Amino acid sequence: MTIFGLSPEAFRFHSQFEMKKKVIQFDSRQLSKGQGSGLQKAKRVAINLFLGFHILAITCWCVPVDTSFFLSCRNFVRPYFLWAGLFQSWDMFAPTPALANSYVEATVVLKDGSRRTWAFPRVEQLSLTDRYIEERYRKFSENLQNDQNDALWPDVARRIARIDSAPSNPAKTVILIQKWSPIVPRVDGSYQPEPWDQHVLFGYGVQPEDLR
Amino acid sequence: MTPRAWLKAWDTFFFEKQSPLPIALFRIAYGGLVIATLLLLRPDWLTWYGTHAWISLPTMQTIEPGRRLDLFTIIPQSDGWINAFFWVFLTSAILLTVGLFTRINGVIVFLCLVSIQQRNLFITNSGDTFLRVTGFFLMFAPAGAALSVDRLIRIWRGKESAVIRPESPWAQRMIQIELSLLYFAAFCWKMKGPLWLHGTALYYVYHLDALKRFPMPAWLLQPTTLKLGTWSALALEFSLGVLIWIKKLRYILLALGLLFHLSLEYSLNVPLFQWDVLSAYILFVDPADITRTWNWIGGGVFAQGDHR
Repeated sequence: MTIFGLSPEAFRFHSQFEMKKKVIQFDSRQLSKGQGSGLQKAKRVAINLFLGFHILAITCWCVPVDTSFFLSCRNFVRPYFLWAGLFQSWDMFAPTPALANSYVEATVVLKDGSRRTWAFPRVEQLSLTDRYIEERYRKFSENLQNDQNDALWPDVARRIARIDSAPSNPAKTVILIQKWSPIVPRVDGSYQPEPWDQHVLFGYGVQPEDLR
Repeated sequence: MTPRAWLKAWDTFFFEKQSPLPIALFRIAYGGLVIATLLLLRPDWLTWYGTHAWISLPTMQTIEPGRRLDLFTIIPQSDGWINAFFWVFLTSAILLTVGLFTRINGVIVFLCLVSIQQRNLFITNSGDTFLRVTGFFLMFAPAGAALSVDRLIRIWRGKESAVIRPESPWAQRMIQIELSLLYFAAFCWKMKGPLWLHGTALYYVYHLDALKRFPMPAWLLQPTTLKLGTWSALALEFSLGVLIWIKKLRYILLALGLLFHLSLEYSLNVPLFQWDVLSAYILFVDPADITRTWNWIGGGVFAQGDHR
């Protein structure tokens, strides 16, 4: 007698083999399923840690509360935030908006003793299109006027010297000057521009190598 | 609320799958804004980042020490390479916008954006900062899961059906949190300033010559109007930072925020800042409402998707 064309012994052997194969397949499926869900769990835990850390870190970084917890948190995350580019500050016009109109210009003294005035593009003097393109100069000029950024001044003076020099008449000295006019509120709300005042930010003696 | 309920709420908020339409639309807006930023920078690219830029690379590294993600420190310092950097950045931003190789281009755009800001931090405004920090989370988002060339390719290869698959929104949530923190932090900073509390801050803002764009009607510059404007800005920034999470108030606040930013766009010359911030409003719109709006406009492309 044959079962599906096999002798009883052969059928028994075949059935046992098939059963073992199924058990092995089942086990491996279970195993990969187990591994998969383990991986999924690990991934979920990692994402949750990532989320928790970043929410706390960003909140402590940008909300201006200076409790010891916030300060410690800022110090702790500082290297990572600076490296990854997550540093941020949302203090637009705050705590106090600028109280004066101001800009930076430079007086360039040339080799022959003549003087020239060099000025950054001033947004208020530009066309609407140029205002969009040149707005970076406003921001740069604003930062230049901050004494904390005095390390920028030599680079700026060198560049102005390069721009304003001719081979026959190179720049010898560059003087960066801040011009400012205070905004004074009047009771009736009208606005009258105040006279401009000035303040020397920096003087720089140009070296020949600066002009290369 | 019990700890278990908190955990469930956290899990639902960050991981309950939803349509990737909002993040896809944000990707398109974000890519467009990066492209616009680059095009505005193009005329002065070497002036800001070249070998003879206003600030040299060594000076920048002295002022801002420490390890930074900055590709300018690894590319050769020649104007040719720095120009090539621009074109790679622009190409990557275009590919991100259309959603081709979305993930890798999200990473490239973020790296390039961080690099140009690290190279010269003194010309960046808050809009640039917002693009940078949201770009970080966009890298992790399923931004190419909808409205992308990547998706068309997957459909063409038979790997995906016409139905848009829902995705886990945790990266989108982080960008939403960034936006609400922007407003809340701005509110907190302003509360520290007496001029904001007294209502006179906007008088100074609107008389800064370097920020003027279009002329303002005289009645808007009256002390009473400016006081109301100053306090309204405070109230709105608080609301957009905190109350935006209350679903019933969301759309009215988004509408007020839109008006607020459009008025600033009219009156103040801070290129792209308003649009950078407004782009993230899309993420607060319910995917079903995006679909409804699209269908109302007459599209129908989204109609087949699952927009839970």
